[in-house]
Amino acid sequence: MNILQLLEGLTLRRILWVTAICALASGAVVWIFLNTYFDLLLTALAVGYTSMLLFTAASNVRQSVMPREAMQILAIVAGSILGTILAGVLKGRDITQMFHERLAGVTISMGLGIGFGCVVVAAILLREKYARDQARILRAESERHQLEKGMLEARLQLMQAQVEPHFLFNTLANVQHLVETDPQGAVRMLDSLIRYLRAAVPQMREAHSTLGREVEMARAFLEIQQVRMGPRLAFRIEVPEPLRARDFPPMMLISLVENAIKHGVDPCCECGTVVIRAEEQEGRLRVCVADTGEGVKPKEGGGLGLANIRERLKTLYGGAAALVLEENAPHGVTAAIEVPAAA
Amino acid sequence: MSATGVIADDEPLLRAQLRSRLARLWPELTVVHEMENGRDVEEVLQRHGPSVFFLDVHMPGVNGLEAARRIAGRAHVVFVTAYDEHAVEAFERGAVDYVLKPFTEERLALAIQRLRERLQAAPAHLEELVQTLAARLAPAAAPQHLRWIKASVGPNVRLIPVEEVIFFQSDDKYTRVVTCDGEALIRKPIRELLDELDPERFWQVHRATIVNVDRIASVRRGLKDQAEIALREHPGTLVVSRAFTHRFKQM
Repeated sequence: MNILQLLEGLTLRRILWVTAICALASGAVVWIFLNTYFDLLLTALAVGYTSMLLFTAASNVRQSVMPREAMQILAIVAGSILGTILAGVLKGRDITQMFHERLAGVTISMGLGIGFGCVVVAAILLREKYARDQARILRAESERHQLEKGMLEARLQLMQAQVEPHFLFNTLANVQHLVETDPQGAVRMLDSLIRYLRAAVPQMREAHSTLGREVEMARAFLEIQQVRMGPRLAFRIEVPEPLRARDFPPMMLISLVENAIKHGVDPCCECGTVVIRAEEQEGRLRVCVADTGEGVKPKEGGGLGLANIRERLKTLYGGAAALVLEENAPHGVTAAIEVPAAA
Repeated sequence: MSATGVIADDEPLLRAQLRSRLARLWPELTVVHEMENGRDVEEVLQRHGPSVFFLDVHMPGVNGLEAARRIAGRAHVVFVTAYDEHAVEAFERGAVDYVLKPFTEERLALAIQRLRERLQAAPAHLEELVQTLAARLAPAAAPQHLRWIKASVGPNVRLIPVEEVIFFQSDDKYTRVVTCDGEALIRKPIRELLDELDPERFWQVHRATIVNVDRIASVRRGLKDQAEIALREHPGTLVVSRAFTHRFKQM
């Protein structure tokens, strides 16, 4: 720490304030002393400046022996004593004589220095506290704005997401072929598409859903994908009946299922399985999507979907919910959403 | 005039559909082979020497663009795609044949007619087109940084997206990975992480510490030219050692 850092905060403003206070204080007490005003002013300035320097340094020293405030008071006391001695030296007085014969005057000037000093310190500390409070309020406000922005973004993404044109057109191309070759199959696929769209569309506006509804949407999506991908995709849904009525945030499960297909099963050319599983454990509802696909590549991103789910869980449940991703053995990914299991 | 063709699409029903449509609209064409992706394109060229490939753009493994690049003018190519603004625009400009799924008879018939006229001429080299398209479809060709941390938690391997990490700190033989949800230990040393992480986002602030700059709440100057970082969503502070304080000097 160098001398400049020690003196941080020693502004011209502070120097002018101290000078002004010294000038006023000398004027205020000049009637007690026999000295002239200028003689007093010299003492006052010596005490004031010394205290100011020590006070500034005390504010900047990093130490853990005592609170900063105590250090500052100490600086004022020391500054008053040293300043009085300094004034004596400046006036060409003999120091020993000063402390013997003029003890009363010296004590008064020290006392005044300490008194005024403390008042000034108190004022500075109050102002600092006010500034800190103000900063805290600003910070809290900015955090609140951040949160609101996150919520809005999440909502927007929710509304834009889902029915991708690529998915829709490919599905329709399949239906088009099935109409000619396997009308029954075409009807089944249209059924799935309708269920998927019906589940997806109203939810874009709703904040609440049930686990059952989310699972049915995921099922419809998986049925469509199974027709499209043929034997390359298998899926299982293991969700106990009693859990289906539980509240569950919308569009999160489908997002995980889409990831399992898009980043897991589809890129690897072999066949893969997607399993949706829900269970209740120690007051938590855990819904997971496991795939036996390619697994994450360390250098490829998982997309916005996951960050979006995390953000929404945070907004909805604070720290009480989590999205956990793990490697599935022997390959693939398990993505689990855990929320408090309010019935 | 007879011709031979190959169909490449990862969706079995869509291969069957194209095959039956082609049989109706272009009876002289014999489909000699079907593929799930473009992986075996070389072998198919050797064995069948088809005059035309119908390539789906999106296929796992070797996609349609890569397959076209490998064909390299040894056969004609028609791209098939469900929906892709970028691709369609590029096809139009490059005067390449393409059809959109789901097909309409007229569009497919038009593509076939054009193809028949072209069949006599030498197939076009699509190198340039494929390159522009590949760049548009996968712009992630930018420098590749580490996106996932794999950390053992009990018997499981936790996958942590790097965005979730608040900081990394070396701890004896291990590196601590600290996120809002907790901590994990990995074996990869700070030095290696530093090489692999996105340097814009992850700054080394100490011999033993890398911080995610998005998670810095404030930086305060401390003792002996050091600084101290307060974090968002984490109560602790991090020390910035002297060698790294320059990154936090006022801009």
